[in-house]
Amino acid sequence: MAREKEESMQVSRRATRSSTFSANNNGIELGKPNDSYIPTLGDLVFGQEPISLDDLLSRFPGRRVQILELLRLLGTLNSSMPPLFVYGSASTGKTSIIIQVFRHLSRPFVYTSCLSCYSPRILFESILNQLLLHKKNAFNGYSSAKRCEKPSDFVIFVREALINVIDSLKENAEKTSTSKLKGQVNGKMIYLIFDNFELVREWDKSSSILPFLFGLSDILKMPEVGMIFISSTSPDTIVLRPFCRITKRVDELSTAFSLLFKRYCEPLSDLGVLPNGEMKRRLFSHLQPHIAPSLNEIFRVASQPCLECGVNQETRRKGGARKSVGSGDLDDIGFHMSTSAKYLLVSAFLASRNPATLDASLFDTTGVSDSRKRKRKASEKSLEQKEAAEQELLMKGPGTFSLERLLAIFQCITSVGEEEEGNDGLRVDEGSNALMSDILLQLTSLCNSNFIVKGGSCPLEGSTRYRSTLSEDLAIKVARSIKFPLSKYLYRR
Amino acid sequence: MGKENPAAEKASNLLRSRLCDPNFVVKHLSDSPDSNYSSVTEACNNSILLLGPRGSGKIAVLELILTDLLLEYPDTISVIKLNGLLHSDDCCAFKEIARQLCMEHQLLFSKMASFDDNSQFMIEMLRECGLAHKTIIFVLDEFDLFAQGKQRLLYSLLDAMQSVTSQAVVIGVSCRLDADQLLEKRVRSRFSHRKLLFLPPSKEDMQRLLEHILSLPVDSSLPHAYAVEFNKKIKNILADGRFKEIVNTLVNLDSTVNHLLRFLFLAVSYMDLESGFLSFENFKTALSNSHRQPKLECIKDCSILELYILVCMKRLEVKEQNSYNFNSVMKEYKSIHDSFQTSDYYSRNVCLRAFEHLLQRELICFTDNRGYSQSVEFRPVKLLISSIELHQGLKSYCSCPVILLKLVER
Repeated sequence: MAREKEESMQVSRRATRSSTFSANNNGIELGKPNDSYIPTLGDLVFGQEPISLDDLLSRFPGRRVQILELLRLLGTLNSSMPPLFVYGSASTGKTSIIIQVFRHLSRPFVYTSCLSCYSPRILFESILNQLLLHKKNAFNGYSSAKRCEKPSDFVIFVREALINVIDSLKENAEKTSTSKLKGQVNGKMIYLIFDNFELVREWDKSSSILPFLFGLSDILKMPEVGMIFISSTSPDTIVLRPFCRITKRVDELSTAFSLLFKRYCEPLSDLGVLPNGEMKRRLFSHLQPHIAPSLNEIFRVASQPCLECGVNQETRRKGGARKSVGSGDLDDIGFHMSTSAKYLLVSAFLASRNPATLDASLFDTTGVSDSRKRKRKASEKSLEQKEAAEQELLMKGPGTFSLERLLAIFQCITSVGEEEEGNDGLRVDEGSNALMSDILLQLTSLCNSNFIVKGGSCPLEGSTRYRSTLSEDLAIKVARSIKFPLSKYLYRR
Repeated sequence: MGKENPAAEKASNLLRSRLCDPNFVVKHLSDSPDSNYSSVTEACNNSILLLGPRGSGKIAVLELILTDLLLEYPDTISVIKLNGLLHSDDCCAFKEIARQLCMEHQLLFSKMASFDDNSQFMIEMLRECGLAHKTIIFVLDEFDLFAQGKQRLLYSLLDAMQSVTSQAVVIGVSCRLDADQLLEKRVRSRFSHRKLLFLPPSKEDMQRLLEHILSLPVDSSLPHAYAVEFNKKIKNILADGRFKEIVNTLVNLDSTVNHLLRFLFLAVSYMDLESGFLSFENFKTALSNSHRQPKLECIKDCSILELYILVCMKRLEVKEQNSYNFNSVMKEYKSIHDSFQTSDYYSRNVCLRAFEHLLQRELICFTDNRGYSQSVEFRPVKLLISSIELHQGLKSYCSCPVILLKLVER
């Protein structure tokens, strides 16, 4: 259902710019420069067939109250309204409902999203382009109709543009129905919709832009203009209870549910059959053992190899006894990395976890490490210290290290690995210059994928320091995949 | 939506447009300050500040007076309007002044004119208008925003008024009651300390206003019988004690006229278009819908895991841990699970995602601004809702686990 909505949303967004105007026989296809396309007033409306109220209500189950309230606030044709603020948390359907309501009412509107228009200038120019029916194409060099940076200019331009649009809307309204535009434009009012409005707070001059946009309707003083602001902060509908203990967001639930639903339908040979009570119970008991592990996997993003994994897991389940699903994934990292990148990751993890003073003893040239402390009887003070140290570890997070230290550890580890693997290992001596540049490239790509992050700079020298963001589980997995004894090198307090 | 009553539609449209138009309201309440008149008729330089909370109708009153004045003395007045939100930058302000002056007097305006050119132009215009016995009225909306920075505009305006040859009035409008304290010493000395406070209307005034707004005109295009019936019903509702209570609640919250108008708009939008009459229930629904508590609504829509995280953070705060991060919250979560054997124990990744949802919904936030080098799990966080709100939210949460309530109450 969510996917359907998404598709229709995408189509709707594209269609707002296209014209179903019959006089213009060239249909608009994206990417094709079309000389003779002249945008008309019909472009300000939704552009596709208007839908009835029942259709609107059935597309958004559970939103009846909100849709009716919205319709009441917008009012009948040509009734003025103060600015509306629509809020709700992510993926609750605010934008899609508003756009579909306007489609149902066939009233002209100008839609801008503060996500794609990320600065005041782009926002102003986008609104002006839509009002002036200006389309960016190759002829005008993809430039906007007017250059507008400051709010004061914007107010002047937008007032002119709005007056023009409203005049043409008035003319259109007075024409008889046969000569009206095919994309049936209703009414004399035009609405400005600002989506993703909460992002405006993060703009540069937000302290002046935000009150300006809110007060725009007062500044303009035009009763034929309505404003709607959409922002994220609140409600949602419920689907299946246990999942809603974790999250209520529809987009995240839908991925989990699609997999579960497939499993739910497995025993059914005929999917067209509506289950009755008995069947429902049996189906649910078939589904039940999969719900619990699925709860913990709910935020997993399905990646490409998942299809094969799915098949493997099937065979595993059918074959053996029921073991917990989690253990099967322990050895599988789920993404591919080169061996040197894995070694780099492990060295970064060690560099972040271990204090620098231990390096000498851990990585001495004999390759043998002995970090096992003699176990003494734990006194109270040392227990307290241990707790405090643990707390500190929790709070402070991984430490920073310099690039030289990372490379030193890397060389020690790979030499250890080479010894263990015999002659097939990495050859560090020959062509070490080439290897080093590869390593630096690997390091950059690790930084870009946020495995290693640039920490603050060292106070004495001013060189940059790095920090590893790897969690312990993932580090263990990576180390296991290159058969590196990580636990021997970890410093345990 | 059932059969449509065209008269009802027209009536509802009329009411809505009245409520969106501040001038209509103000005309009724008109208490025109005479001082504005005097400065024009007596041709002396003057400055005045209109102060009052937002939505008390300052600009509306001003517009009313200006339209009256323009009718009375059509040729001798020109009005220049500036807004602090748009023109607080001095260059911008002078450009706007020059542009409006050019528009008034049909001169050509050049966008390329520099700041000095514009200010010279303004001073010359003031002198010319003074010689011709024309008054220029400067309306400065959001006056306190002009008082930021160096206050060059204010100084030059007020300074220009000191000379005998110019005739100008400067009217500042602001919602800050201490707007004149923001002025620099040299500006303040040139400012005549006249202030007009816009106080909220009294109860009788409010009652009269309500009746005036909501009564339909009897002799207009609406059917006579319908309009009379409508007005009678309105009178009954207004006289009702419960309605007076509703108005009192509104006024206690925010006594400006604008707030009342917004409430009336909501009520009118709930009007039943079939019968075409406003009922008391409309007003009641409007009241409950206009007093929203977004944080409580936010909590109502959190999932149970997110509630657990919030309660863990609350407990950490109660234990007086001055700074805590996601890892400490996880530790607390685990300890709750161990001691109470709850059924809701989820893996770390799931909890991290729920944590990020809470961040997105702004129920919690990071306390450090520059900690971008740390990952989410290590950055210190804090709660953005008070314990009372959390408590209330949990109580009104349907199917809230009992354990959470117990933990919060301790």
